[in-house]
Amino acid sequence: MNIERIHILLEKYWNCETSVSEEQELQEFYNFGDVPDDLQQLVPMFSYKQDQHAIALSDDFEKKLETSIRKADRKKQYITIKIFEPFLRIAASIILIAGIGVSVYFFARQNNQVFAETYNDPGAALEQATSALEKLSMALQTTEEASLKSLEQLDNLDLDWSEIDSLSSEIPLYNPDSNNNIESETL
Amino acid sequence: MKRSFLIVFTLFLATSIFANDFIGKFLKECVETDRPVSNVNIGNTMLNKMAANTSDEELKATFRELTSIRIITTESKSDSKYYFEKAKQLISSDFTDYLEVVSVNERRSKINILMKKIDEKNQDLILIALDDDNKLTIITVSGNIDFNSISKLSSSLRESNTEEPVSENETDKGN
Repeated sequence: MNIERIHILLEKYWNCETSVSEEQELQEFYNFGDVPDDLQQLVPMFSYKQDQHAIALSDDFEKKLETSIRKADRKKQYITIKIFEPFLRIAASIILIAGIGVSVYFFARQNNQVFAETYNDPGAALEQATSALEKLSMALQTTEEASLKSLEQLDNLDLDWSEIDSLSSEIPLYNPDSNNNIESETL
Repeated sequence: MKRSFLIVFTLFLATSIFANDFIGKFLKECVETDRPVSNVNIGNTMLNKMAANTSDEELKATFRELTSIRIITTESKSDSKYYFEKAKQLISSDFTDYLEVVSVNERRSKINILMKKIDEKNQDLILIALDDDNKLTIITVSGNIDFNSISKLSSSLRESNTEEPVSENETDKGN
Protein backbone atom coordinates (compact mmCIF):
# COMPACT_ATOMS: atom_id res chain seq x y z
CA MET A 1 0.00 0.00 0.00
CA ASN A 2 1.15 3.53 -0.84
CA ILE A 3 2.53 5.41 2.18
CA GLU A 4 1.25 8.71 0.81
CA ARG A 5 -2.20 7.21 0.55
CA ILE A 6 -1.88 6.13 4.25
CA HIS A 7 -0.93 9.64 5.30
CA ILE A 8 -3.90 11.09 3.46
CA LEU A 9 -6.22 8.54 5.09
CA LEU A 10 -4.75 9.30 8.52
CA GLU A 11 -5.33 13.02 7.97
CA LYS A 12 -8.93 12.31 7.08
CA TYR A 13 -9.21 9.90 10.06
CA TRP A 14 -8.15 12.55 12.58
CA ASN A 15 -10.66 14.97 11.00
CA CYS A 16 -13.36 12.23 11.30
CA GLU A 17 -13.87 12.33 7.56
CA THR A 18 -13.00 8.73 6.73
CA SER A 19 -15.56 6.31 5.41
CA VAL A 20 -15.95 2.74 6.63
CA SER A 21 -13.98 1.31 3.73
CA GLU A 22 -11.17 3.83 4.26
CA GLU A 23 -10.97 2.88 7.96
CA GLN A 24 -10.84 -0.76 6.93
CA GLU A 25 -7.97 0.09 4.62
CA LEU A 26 -6.09 1.66 7.55
CA GLN A 27 -6.78 -1.38 9.74
CA GLU A 28 -5.55 -3.77 7.08
CA PHE A 29 -2.43 -1.70 6.64
CA TYR A 30 -1.62 -1.66 10.36
CA ASN A 31 -2.52 -5.36 10.93
CA PHE A 32 -1.06 -6.99 7.85
CA GLY A 33 1.04 -4.37 6.13
CA ASP A 34 4.65 -3.25 6.49
CA VAL A 35 4.33 -0.32 8.91
CA PRO A 36 7.15 2.24 8.78
CA ASP A 37 8.79 3.43 11.96
CA ASP A 38 7.14 6.87 12.03
CA LEU A 39 3.68 5.26 11.99
CA GLN A 40 4.42 2.45 14.52
CA GLN A 41 2.94 4.45 17.41
CA LEU A 42 -0.58 4.01 15.92
CA VAL A 43 -0.34 0.20 15.63
CA PRO A 44 -2.00 -0.52 19.05
CA MET A 45 -4.91 1.77 18.19
CA PHE A 46 -5.79 0.12 14.88
CA SER A 47 -5.00 -3.45 16.00
CA TYR A 48 -7.25 -3.10 19.09
CA LYS A 49 -10.37 -3.89 17.11
CA GLN A 50 -8.73 -6.89 15.48
CA ASP A 51 -7.68 -8.22 18.89
CA GLN A 52 -11.19 -7.79 20.26
CA HIS A 53 -12.68 -9.57 17.27
CA ALA A 54 -10.26 -12.44 17.91
CA ILE A 55 -11.70 -12.98 21.35
CA ALA A 56 -14.17 -15.89 21.20
CA LEU A 57 -16.13 -17.86 23.75
CA SER A 58 -14.33 -20.91 25.08
CA ASP A 59 -15.78 -24.38 24.65
CA ASP A 60 -16.70 -24.69 28.33
CA PHE A 61 -18.23 -21.21 28.52
CA GLU A 62 -21.75 -22.55 29.01
CA LYS A 63 -20.66 -24.82 31.83
CA LYS A 64 -18.86 -21.98 33.57
CA LEU A 65 -21.94 -19.79 33.18
CA GLU A 66 -24.26 -22.41 34.71
CA THR A 67 -21.84 -22.98 37.58
CA SER A 68 -21.65 -19.31 38.42
CA ILE A 69 -25.46 -19.01 38.25
CA ARG A 70 -25.83 -21.94 40.65
CA LYS A 71 -23.31 -20.41 43.04
CA ALA A 72 -25.26 -17.19 43.04
CA ASP A 73 -28.51 -19.07 43.79
CA ARG A 74 -26.90 -21.00 46.63
CA LYS A 75 -25.65 -17.78 48.15
CA LYS A 76 -29.22 -16.49 48.12
CA GLN A 77 -30.45 -19.70 49.82
CA TYR A 78 -27.78 -19.50 52.49
CA ILE A 79 -28.71 -15.91 53.17
CA THR A 80 -32.39 -16.89 53.53
CA ILE A 81 -31.55 -19.78 55.84
CA LYS A 82 -29.32 -17.60 58.00
CA ILE A 83 -32.07 -15.07 58.48
CA PHE A 84 -34.59 -17.69 59.58
CA GLU A 85 -32.11 -19.83 61.51
CA PRO A 86 -33.34 -18.90 65.03
CA PHE A 87 -36.94 -19.54 64.05
CA LEU A 88 -36.01 -22.83 62.42
CA ARG A 89 -34.24 -23.91 65.62
CA ILE A 90 -37.24 -23.02 67.75
CA ALA A 91 -39.63 -24.80 65.38
CA ALA A 92 -37.42 -27.91 65.29
CA SER A 93 -37.25 -27.96 69.11
CA ILE A 94 -41.02 -27.65 69.41
CA ILE A 95 -41.61 -30.40 66.86
CA LEU A 96 -39.10 -32.66 68.62
CA ILE A 97 -40.66 -32.13 72.04
CA ALA A 98 -44.19 -32.57 70.66
CA GLY A 99 -43.15 -35.74 68.85
CA ILE A 100 -41.56 -37.18 71.98
CA GLY A 101 -44.60 -36.25 74.06
CA VAL A 102 -47.09 -37.76 71.63
CA SER A 103 -45.13 -40.98 71.20
CA VAL A 104 -44.63 -41.37 74.95
CA TYR A 105 -48.37 -40.73 75.52
CA PHE A 106 -49.45 -43.37 73.02
CA PHE A 107 -46.84 -45.83 74.23
CA ALA A 108 -47.94 -45.39 77.83
CA ARG A 109 -51.57 -45.68 76.85
CA GLN A 110 -50.97 -48.94 75.01
CA ASN A 111 -48.77 -50.51 77.59
CA ASN A 112 -49.44 -48.92 80.93
CA GLN A 113 -47.30 -51.40 82.85
CA VAL A 114 -44.57 -49.63 84.74
CA PHE A 115 -44.04 -52.12 87.55
CA ALA A 116 -41.80 -55.14 87.87
CA GLU A 117 -43.45 -58.55 87.87
CA THR A 118 -43.07 -60.28 91.22
CA TYR A 119 -43.02 -63.84 89.90
CA ASN A 120 -41.28 -65.57 87.02
CA ASP A 121 -43.09 -68.85 87.54
CA PRO A 122 -46.75 -68.88 86.39
CA GLY A 123 -47.58 -71.53 88.98
CA ALA A 124 -46.54 -69.31 91.87
CA ALA A 125 -48.31 -66.30 90.39
CA LEU A 126 -51.47 -68.32 89.84
CA GLU A 127 -51.97 -68.84 93.56
CA GLN A 128 -51.71 -65.14 94.33
CA ALA A 129 -53.87 -64.09 91.40
CA THR A 130 -56.52 -66.64 92.27
CA SER A 131 -56.48 -65.51 95.88
CA ALA A 132 -56.85 -61.88 94.83
CA LEU A 133 -59.74 -62.59 92.50
CA GLU A 134 -61.36 -64.75 95.14
CA LYS A 135 -61.16 -61.89 97.64
CA LEU A 136 -62.63 -59.53 95.06
CA SER A 137 -65.37 -61.97 94.31
CA MET A 138 -66.17 -62.41 98.00
CA ALA A 139 -66.17 -58.63 98.46
CA LEU A 140 -68.69 -58.30 95.65
CA GLN A 141 -70.84 -61.04 97.14
CA THR A 142 -70.60 -59.42 100.58
CA THR A 143 -71.75 -56.10 99.20
CA GLU A 144 -74.56 -57.80 97.33
CA GLU A 145 -75.69 -59.50 100.52
CA ALA A 146 -75.45 -56.25 102.44
CA SER A 147 -77.59 -54.50 99.83
CA LEU A 148 -80.18 -57.25 99.95
CA LYS A 149 -80.17 -57.12 103.73
CA SER A 150 -80.74 -53.38 103.68
CA LEU A 151 -83.64 -53.80 101.29
CA GLU A 152 -85.07 -56.53 103.50
CA GLN A 153 -84.84 -54.28 106.54
CA LEU A 154 -86.62 -51.53 104.64
CA ASP A 155 -89.33 -54.00 103.67
CA ASN A 156 -89.67 -55.08 107.30
CA LEU A 157 -90.29 -51.51 108.37
CA ASP A 158 -93.61 -51.84 106.60
CA LEU A 159 -93.65 -48.26 105.40
CA ASP A 160 -96.49 -46.73 103.48
CA TRP A 161 -94.64 -45.60 100.39
CA SER A 162 -97.65 -43.86 98.90
CA GLU A 163 -97.89 -41.67 102.01
CA ILE A 164 -94.21 -40.78 101.72
CA ASP A 165 -94.72 -39.91 98.06
CA SER A 166 -97.60 -37.65 98.93
CA LEU A 167 -95.55 -35.94 101.65
CA SER A 168 -92.92 -34.94 99.14
CA SER A 169 -95.56 -32.97 97.23
CA GLU A 170 -96.50 -30.86 100.28
CA ILE A 171 -92.97 -29.88 101.20
CA PRO A 172 -92.49 -26.19 100.33
CA LEU A 173 -90.18 -25.53 97.44
CA TYR A 174 -87.14 -23.47 98.28
CA ASN A 175 -86.67 -20.43 96.07
CA PRO A 176 -83.24 -18.93 96.62
CA ASP A 177 -84.09 -15.81 94.61
CA SER A 178 -87.00 -14.66 96.65
CA ASN A 179 -86.51 -12.70 99.91
CA ASN A 180 -90.14 -13.08 101.04
CA ASN A 181 -91.79 -16.02 102.71
CA ILE A 182 -91.99 -19.03 100.54
CA GLU A 183 -95.42 -20.26 99.49
CA SER A 184 -96.14 -23.93 99.56
CA GLU A 185 -97.24 -25.62 96.43
CA THR A 186 -99.65 -28.52 96.33
CA LEU A 187 -99.97 -30.79 93.39
CA MET B 1 -32.27 -22.27 79.02
CA LYS B 2 -33.61 -24.42 76.20
CA ARG B 3 -31.74 -27.45 77.51
CA SER B 4 -33.11 -27.04 81.02
CA PHE B 5 -36.61 -26.59 79.64
CA LEU B 6 -36.26 -29.80 77.63
CA ILE B 7 -35.03 -31.73 80.66
CA VAL B 8 -37.84 -30.44 82.88
CA PHE B 9 -40.43 -31.28 80.23
CA THR B 10 -39.08 -34.82 79.82
CA LEU B 11 -39.10 -35.38 83.58
CA PHE B 12 -42.65 -34.07 83.75
CA LEU B 13 -43.68 -36.56 81.09
CA ALA B 14 -41.95 -39.39 82.94
CA THR B 15 -43.56 -38.56 86.27
CA SER B 16 -46.96 -38.16 84.68
CA ILE B 17 -46.71 -41.71 83.36
CA PHE B 18 -45.52 -43.25 86.61
CA ALA B 19 -47.85 -41.36 88.92
CA ASN B 20 -51.14 -42.73 87.61
CA ASP B 21 -51.12 -46.16 89.30
CA PHE B 22 -52.78 -46.36 92.74
CA ILE B 23 -50.56 -49.11 94.11
CA GLY B 24 -47.42 -47.37 92.88
CA LYS B 25 -48.46 -44.11 94.46
CA PHE B 26 -49.53 -45.82 97.67
CA LEU B 27 -46.17 -47.58 97.96
CA LYS B 28 -44.34 -44.36 97.27
CA GLU B 29 -46.30 -41.93 99.43
CA CYS B 30 -48.03 -43.90 102.18
CA VAL B 31 -45.96 -46.96 103.05
CA GLU B 32 -43.47 -46.46 105.87
CA THR B 33 -40.37 -48.51 106.51
CA ASP B 34 -41.40 -49.38 110.07
CA ARG B 35 -44.80 -50.57 108.83
CA PRO B 36 -43.94 -53.10 106.12
CA VAL B 37 -46.41 -54.41 103.58
CA SER B 38 -46.39 -57.28 101.08
CA ASN B 39 -46.69 -56.37 97.44
CA VAL B 40 -47.39 -58.70 94.54
CA ASN B 41 -47.50 -57.51 90.94
CA ILE B 42 -48.84 -59.63 88.10
CA GLY B 43 -48.68 -58.14 84.64
CA ASN B 44 -50.11 -58.94 81.27
CA THR B 45 -47.39 -61.40 80.27
CA MET B 46 -47.80 -63.48 83.42
CA LEU B 47 -51.59 -63.40 83.18
CA ASN B 48 -51.41 -64.85 79.67
CA LYS B 49 -49.06 -67.58 80.87
CA MET B 50 -51.40 -68.36 83.77
CA ALA B 51 -54.34 -68.51 81.39
CA ALA B 52 -52.44 -71.05 79.29
CA ASN B 53 -51.51 -73.11 82.37
CA THR B 54 -54.87 -73.30 84.16
CA SER B 55 -57.56 -75.85 83.35
CA ASP B 56 -60.42 -73.80 84.81
CA GLU B 57 -62.20 -72.29 81.81
CA GLU B 58 -63.77 -69.41 83.74
CA LEU B 59 -60.46 -68.50 85.31
CA LYS B 60 -58.78 -68.78 81.92
CA ALA B 61 -61.27 -66.39 80.36
CA THR B 62 -60.90 -63.96 83.26
CA PHE B 63 -57.11 -63.94 83.06
CA ARG B 64 -57.17 -63.33 79.33
CA GLU B 65 -59.37 -60.26 79.76
CA LEU B 66 -57.23 -58.67 82.46
CA THR B 67 -54.01 -56.72 81.95
CA SER B 68 -52.71 -56.49 85.51
CA ILE B 69 -53.40 -57.50 89.08
CA ARG B 70 -51.54 -55.76 91.91
CA ILE B 71 -51.94 -56.66 95.56
CA ILE B 72 -50.88 -55.11 98.84
CA THR B 73 -51.46 -56.93 102.10
CA THR B 74 -50.43 -56.46 105.67
CA GLU B 75 -50.80 -58.84 108.58
CA SER B 76 -50.44 -56.38 111.48
CA LYS B 77 -53.82 -55.19 112.79
CA SER B 78 -52.62 -51.72 113.74
CA ASP B 79 -50.85 -51.26 110.44
CA SER B 80 -53.96 -52.48 108.61
CA LYS B 81 -56.18 -49.84 110.16
CA TYR B 82 -53.55 -47.15 109.60
CA TYR B 83 -53.06 -48.03 105.96
CA PHE B 84 -56.81 -48.41 105.40
CA GLU B 85 -57.30 -44.76 106.37
CA LYS B 86 -54.25 -43.71 104.34
CA ALA B 87 -55.62 -45.48 101.29
CA LYS B 88 -58.97 -43.73 101.61
CA GLN B 89 -57.24 -40.38 101.99
CA LEU B 90 -55.12 -41.01 98.90
CA ILE B 91 -58.19 -41.88 96.87
CA SER B 92 -60.08 -38.78 97.97
CA SER B 93 -57.09 -36.54 97.18
CA ASP B 94 -55.47 -37.97 94.04
CA PHE B 95 -57.96 -40.38 92.53
CA THR B 96 -61.11 -38.33 92.38
CA ASP B 97 -61.80 -39.58 88.88
CA TYR B 98 -62.62 -42.99 90.32
CA LEU B 99 -66.29 -43.65 91.14
CA GLU B 100 -67.26 -45.54 94.26
CA VAL B 101 -69.10 -48.60 93.06
CA VAL B 102 -69.65 -50.29 96.41
CA SER B 103 -69.01 -49.36 100.00
CA VAL B 104 -69.73 -51.55 103.00
CA ASN B 105 -68.96 -50.38 106.51
CA GLU B 106 -69.85 -53.01 109.04
CA ARG B 107 -68.50 -53.71 112.47
CA ARG B 108 -66.28 -56.53 111.34
CA SER B 109 -65.52 -55.68 107.78
CA LYS B 110 -65.03 -52.63 105.65
CA ILE B 111 -65.03 -52.79 101.88
CA ASN B 112 -64.58 -50.06 99.31
CA ILE B 113 -64.65 -50.79 95.61
CA LEU B 114 -63.90 -47.98 93.17
CA MET B 115 -63.81 -48.04 89.44
CA LYS B 116 -62.73 -45.93 86.50
CA LYS B 117 -63.75 -46.58 82.93
CA ILE B 118 -60.95 -45.84 80.48
CA ASP B 119 -62.69 -47.10 77.38
CA GLU B 120 -65.14 -49.83 76.33
CA LYS B 121 -62.71 -52.67 77.04
CA ASN B 122 -60.56 -51.14 79.72
CA GLN B 123 -61.42 -50.38 83.28
CA ASP B 124 -59.44 -49.86 86.44
CA LEU B 125 -60.72 -51.24 89.72
CA ILE B 126 -59.47 -50.58 93.24
CA LEU B 127 -60.54 -52.77 96.15
CA ILE B 128 -59.71 -51.76 99.71
CA ALA B 129 -60.86 -54.29 102.26
CA LEU B 130 -60.45 -54.73 105.99
CA ASP B 131 -61.67 -58.19 106.84
CA ASP B 132 -62.93 -59.88 110.03
CA ASP B 133 -59.41 -60.42 111.27
CA ASN B 134 -58.55 -56.75 110.60
CA LYS B 135 -56.20 -57.66 107.82
CA LEU B 136 -55.87 -55.15 105.04
CA THR B 137 -56.03 -56.11 101.38
CA ILE B 138 -55.66 -53.61 98.55
CA ILE B 139 -56.16 -55.01 95.09
CA THR B 140 -56.06 -53.13 91.80
CA VAL B 141 -57.25 -54.85 88.68
CA SER B 142 -56.96 -53.48 85.17
CA GLY B 143 -58.47 -54.74 81.95
CA ASN B 144 -61.87 -55.80 80.71
CA ILE B 145 -63.54 -56.38 84.09
CA ASP B 146 -66.74 -58.39 84.15
CA PHE B 147 -68.30 -58.18 87.58
CA ASN B 148 -70.66 -61.06 86.90
CA SER B 149 -67.92 -63.51 86.03
CA ILE B 150 -65.63 -62.32 88.84
CA SER B 151 -68.37 -62.59 91.47
CA LYS B 152 -69.00 -66.18 90.42
CA LEU B 153 -65.31 -67.03 90.58
CA SER B 154 -65.16 -67.65 94.33
CA SER B 155 -67.88 -70.31 94.23
CA SER B 156 -66.36 -72.03 91.20
CA LEU B 157 -62.94 -71.96 92.83
CA ARG B 158 -64.37 -73.45 96.00
CA GLU B 159 -66.08 -76.16 93.95
CA SER B 160 -62.88 -76.98 92.11
CA ASN B 161 -61.03 -77.20 95.43
CA THR B 162 -63.63 -79.57 96.95
CA GLU B 163 -63.73 -81.77 93.82
CA GLU B 164 -60.03 -82.67 93.90
CA PRO B 165 -60.04 -84.83 97.08
CA VAL B 166 -63.10 -86.77 95.78
CA SER B 167 -61.28 -87.64 92.58
CA GLU B 168 -58.26 -88.85 94.55
CA ASN B 169 -60.47 -91.25 96.58
CA GLU B 170 -62.01 -92.62 93.41
CA THR B 171 -58.63 -93.39 91.97
CA ASP B 172 -57.68 -95.20 95.18
CA LYS B 173 -60.84 -97.29 94.99
CA GLY B 174 -60.12 -98.15 91.41
CA ASN B 175 -56.71 -99.46 92.41
